[in-house]
Amino acid sequence: MSADLSKLLNAIGLLAIGTVLALAFIDQIWFADLPCPLCILQRAGLIAAGFGISLNLIFGPKPSHYAMAIIGAVAGGAISMWQILVHIVPGAGHYGNAVFGLHLYTWAFIAAATIVVGCALMLLDDRQFSRAEPMSGRLKVLPLSTLLLFLALTIANIFSTIALCGAGLCPDYPQSYELFD
Amino acid sequence: MMSLPFVLFACAIGAAWMRQRSVSMGFWVFGLVTMLILFHIHMTEALNIQL
Repeated sequence: MSADLSKLLNAIGLLAIGTVLALAFIDQIWFADLPCPLCILQRAGLIAAGFGISLNLIFGPKPSHYAMAIIGAVAGGAISMWQILVHIVPGAGHYGNAVFGLHLYTWAFIAAATIVVGCALMLLDDRQFSRAEPMSGRLKVLPLSTLLLFLALTIANIFSTIALCGAGLCPDYPQSYELFD
Repeated sequence: MMSLPFVLFACAIGAAWMRQRSVSMGFWVFGLVTMLILFHIHMTEALNIQL
């Protein structure tokens, strides 16, 4: 795999993560499904994973960048798994709306597992790492736009979380935006 | 406080954009640690399962 193909695949991966984060926002705003603290941390896990992929786009592919993406996905996936286990016993209830029969924390776990598998598959090909110097500073349209989208979604999460939780910790079951109360 | 991981990750992306790789990785590590501390704080519900 050439470095350019690797860059393209990384851009598609980052776009997929951005799409998941954007869908979470749509669920939050359009369907008034306020995220719980663990849901917010799962978003942070997706961003932590996406950051490793961003480094691949900016500095060129490196195993350490894939490792960062995997670590971020594992951390986010662990939070998702905890929330799944909290609600796994029949009668234990659930949090939020179901999308295609699965709750968002289950989808977050699937996304995290997909990131881990995707990074492992990308790591199989060593040829992308053979280029010693960093990639060109001029990013092409797709990598640049996905990076901008990813940065915008990260900043949007800052404002959303401040609106929901204020300056402190979030309540376990938020009912409204604290900033607007 | 809950927004802190996002702030640190945004700083990490910004530093990477300015080609400061080490700085960006430092922000990322702090963001990840903050995220895990917040996770620990919010693990308030007991698991109703026997392992």
